[in-house]
Amino acid sequence: MSVDQKGASAPTRRMLRRIVVLMALFGIGATALLLARLFRLQILDHAFYEDLAVAQQLREAPTTASRGTIYDTKGRPLALSASVDTVYLSPAEISRYGEDRELIADGLAEILGLDREEIYEKSGRTGSWYVTVARKIEREQADAVRAFKEEHGLRGVRLETDTKRYYPNSSLACHLIGFVGMDNDGLEGLEARYDEALAGTAGKTLRMTNAFGTELLFEQFEQFQPGEDGCDIVTTIDTTVQYYVEKHLRQAAEDYDALNGAGAIAMDVNTGAILAMASIEGYDLNDFLAVSPKAQAAVDAAASPEEARELLAAAQARQWRNKALSDTYEPGSTFKIITLSMALEEGAVHLSDGFYCGGNVSVPGRTSPIRCWKDGGHGSQTLTQAVQHSCNVAFVNIGLRLGAETFYRYCDAFGFLELTEDRDESLTARTGIDLYGESGSIWWSQNVFTSPKNLSQLAAASFGQTFTITPLQLITAVSACVNGGRLMQPFVVRQICAPDGTVLSEREPKLVRQVIREETSAAVRQILEQVVGDEKDGTGKNAAVAGYRIGGKTGTSEKVSLEAQTGEKQYIVSFVGFAPADDPKIAILAFLDTPSTKSGVYISGGQMAAPVVGAMMADILPYLGVEPDPGEDSGQDAAVPKLVGLSAAEAESALREEGLSFRSLGGGDTVTGQLPSQGSRIAPGSQVLLYFDAQPSEEPETVPTITGMTYRQARDTLAALGLFIRTRTGVENALDQRVSTQSLAAGTAVGHGSIVEVTLVSVDDTMLGRY
Amino acid sequence: MQYDAARLSAFAPSPGTKRASFDLPFFLTVLLLLFLGVVMVLSASFPRAYYDPGRVTGGNAVYYFVRQLIFALAGVAAMLLCAKLPMGFYRRYTLLFLILTLALLALVPLIGVRANGSRRWLGFGGLTLQPSELAKLAVILVFARLICRFRSRMHSFRYGLLPFLGILGVFVGLLVLEPHFSASVILIAVGGAMLFLGEVPLGYFAAAGSAAIGGLFVLMTFFPYASSRITTWRDPFSSSSDEGYQIVQSLYSIGSGGLSGLGLGGSRQKYLFLPEEHNDFIFSVVCEELGFIGAALILLLFAMLILRGYWIALHCRERFSCLVCAGITTLLAIQVFLNVAVVTNLIPCTGISLPFFSYGGTALLIQLAEMGIILSASRDILSE
Repeated sequence: MSVDQKGASAPTRRMLRRIVVLMALFGIGATALLLARLFRLQILDHAFYEDLAVAQQLREAPTTASRGTIYDTKGRPLALSASVDTVYLSPAEISRYGEDRELIADGLAEILGLDREEIYEKSGRTGSWYVTVARKIEREQADAVRAFKEEHGLRGVRLETDTKRYYPNSSLACHLIGFVGMDNDGLEGLEARYDEALAGTAGKTLRMTNAFGTELLFEQFEQFQPGEDGCDIVTTIDTTVQYYVEKHLRQAAEDYDALNGAGAIAMDVNTGAILAMASIEGYDLNDFLAVSPKAQAAVDAAASPEEARELLAAAQARQWRNKALSDTYEPGSTFKIITLSMALEEGAVHLSDGFYCGGNVSVPGRTSPIRCWKDGGHGSQTLTQAVQHSCNVAFVNIGLRLGAETFYRYCDAFGFLELTEDRDESLTARTGIDLYGESGSIWWSQNVFTSPKNLSQLAAASFGQTFTITPLQLITAVSACVNGGRLMQPFVVRQICAPDGTVLSEREPKLVRQVIREETSAAVRQILEQVVGDEKDGTGKNAAVAGYRIGGKTGTSEKVSLEAQTGEKQYIVSFVGFAPADDPKIAILAFLDTPSTKSGVYISGGQMAAPVVGAMMADILPYLGVEPDPGEDSGQDAAVPKLVGLSAAEAESALREEGLSFRSLGGGDTVTGQLPSQGSRIAPGSQVLLYFDAQPSEEPETVPTITGMTYRQARDTLAALGLFIRTRTGVENALDQRVSTQSLAAGTAVGHGSIVEVTLVSVDDTMLGRY
Repeated sequence: MQYDAARLSAFAPSPGTKRASFDLPFFLTVLLLLFLGVVMVLSASFPRAYYDPGRVTGGNAVYYFVRQLIFALAGVAAMLLCAKLPMGFYRRYTLLFLILTLALLALVPLIGVRANGSRRWLGFGGLTLQPSELAKLAVILVFARLICRFRSRMHSFRYGLLPFLGILGVFVGLLVLEPHFSASVILIAVGGAMLFLGEVPLGYFAAAGSAAIGGLFVLMTFFPYASSRITTWRDPFSSSSDEGYQIVQSLYSIGSGGLSGLGLGGSRQKYLFLPEEHNDFIFSVVCEELGFIGAALILLLFAMLILRGYWIALHCRERFSCLVCAGITTLLAIQVFLNVAVVTNLIPCTGISLPFFSYGGTALLIQLAEMGIILSASRDILSE
């Protein structure tokens, strides 16, 4: 019974056989299948899946490299970077954490002053971890966003540090410095040219993140590839020189209403270093998209949005254009320096040579004779006088003596053109300055220029017509003419420094070639000094600065192509000067493009551009440490001493010492008030107002018209009103000079004691001409 | 008389018939797998517990681990208790267990906890219970009991098939109400295996197999949901941001593990890329951290356990014990196979947990209790 029972309840054989089947199926078969599958995924396809996995796990965060600083030659910063914040959204996290998109859009729109709908739309791009909302916001806004984020515990609203470029001097040297775009890439000027050095290399952090994009708990997943901060660059720009150049250039562009702007370059004569370069009109580097109020008004008045956009773009392009570098023009008479230099070097002319100018000269190949600017001609003149007079006839003769081949060879040597094998090719050249945007010159081909049957090209080129060059080329060549004959390559950056201050590269002044001999150069300097220094014959005498020896040359060139189009004569007036004349340190070229006839000043380089360079020199030379000639102190401005508290006698003697006179007002013993205030610089001989027991009137005074007056007349006219006068150059006793411009316009209401700065130019009829 | 003695021995074993100790290799394999499983829960779950995207853990990184550990310890105690109880106990209370299970299962659609569109859990205070886990054991016990009863009539349709299909139908019907597709599949598979062992003629299986294939075809043709699952299975990368996301992330984990893995704790995919990383997809983390070598060793451990389970079944002297052991072992084997097959995209995705590894307190407890039943059976083998 028990055996039967046992046998009956025991598993059957078939049951056991079927268990063995399951054993084989699940214990061995299934395991083998799974192992094979794992082998396929983990061993055979390992790389495939690993790549995909790593791609989603790693998040690459760029770390911005700090952009290098741009310094002027004295180590003053021109452009520097500061940290600012950028606000972005992480819509993926907004979605995951269920954060309120409405709240985010409302809050950010209010803080940042942006379109609410746009932010709302951005916050809904749930596939993204990074959507920029606002870049480079101000600190207060960033703090407000941070507070908003904290208050609502928003994980999807993020801030990150970015850098912003600041230009401490706003518009100063804007065309040289240039600016950067939103991504800190240099777009103009040095910022563009030296972008690679300044930018450095952005580093990146490779970071393992979780699926929400936030960092992992452990740092070993983080791989940091450090970037390199950008290099600093030290330029040759001198902020002070640049300031003076811009100040006087802007004043002149305003005074003479230069319709197409103006430009100026100040260069270290001996090295080719650019001390200053200016173009009118400028713009604020910190807001480089904003155009002048006048241009903006035109944009606002545009009929359609398209037109407004075009106008704005055109105005921006205009203000960003560096005229001194990118414009080409016919230099006119300033080029006579070059013709003179090559002729002296070649022995084609000598200082003792005499020239006769009968008012015009016939040239083979021309139907009409070339006229001198002076009707009736200059008569007999020495070489120096021919230059002083800027006599076209004399220079045509000098050019013809040189010959076209020689003339072109020297133009090549001075860097105006590059001779080529192909004699039919139009010729061009650039200085190769370390700035983008330099235009090339335009010259006739050698075959055209040197044709023996047609000398008209050579004749006109001798006084700077029929070809175009850049202002930079001219000042570079002129510097070579007066520095001993060495043509230097102009440059702006002299040092590149690593972030730690180590000098990585130092730019040595680069001699392109010796063009003329030292002796020739000395003769050129001597002659050019007479152009400015000779009160009687010098066409450049309006550039004279009291106490300084200045050499230079005027230029007035007609924009021929424009005249053909409009029938209206338009001119570019210019002056290139250097100082001190015996041992030049600095050369300055200033030009005014299309001055208006309405200014009342005769349009010529001598009347308009020469005083500008004179004014620049008057400010810059003392700054550069050039001592004024002590023998020539007659023209110096007088400094008003402290007079308040003195007795009448004491005041009188203090004033006499400064070469000033006075007028007493009120009755008393002690000076209680004075005009102008202590330290003011005014013309010598001016009448200082002394108040005894009285105070100057608070009533405003109206500035009278003083243009056209002699200096003395102007001084006395102003003195009667309690106003004072000063020239920009200190020169006030040159023959036949008259006031051509005044810094305070007639009709302006000003306080008593105000000082009017005036430009004095010679208005002798013999001096009025396009030279 | 013998029967009575056996009955007595179940509750008050006489000194002369002291039962032998249980099968040590099986027990140790279970403990080893359980240990590995709990460690892997710690490794896999802490990022989710820490970041707490579902606002469950309050940022407590060991939240899941501590719970799993407590249930593992309770489970070991349950296993030892179940091993202590004689097989006669289980046979005796099978019917009661069946009724209880059905009652709980019937409650689920009514008062169950809803999650992801299904009601699968019953909540008791802080604990949750999936009655479907109990149902699996109930089917094994009941089928074993019935097979023993109908032993000579199992070839007939009336006894060999009808009652079984009826019971299975009730269970599956209740599961479909939840709905719980994967549990139904497992239940049918385990039931089928039991019938197979119960000597049901193979012809029925051939017919059932054909019917299943036909049904699947109909399902795929007329139900877009099912057919999209197949598409996702065939090419998970085509929908890697929605339907295929889970499986693609799982493949990334497994594939990037390579031969030797990223090291224990070194998974990157568990940082919220991989969904259910401490649950249904914990084996993906195993593969990523321990590599092919580690994953293969764990699969081999499972294979050892399964083979040993069947070995114990083969050596049972009682038919009921034999069937229960083979049934529980088959259940274990099916779950392991289906889980690993899903995470490696061998079969279309469905939610099946990995025994001893997947997080889930009561399920672990029940699984360990089931191991205890096998251990209990193993004691009878050696007691002679």
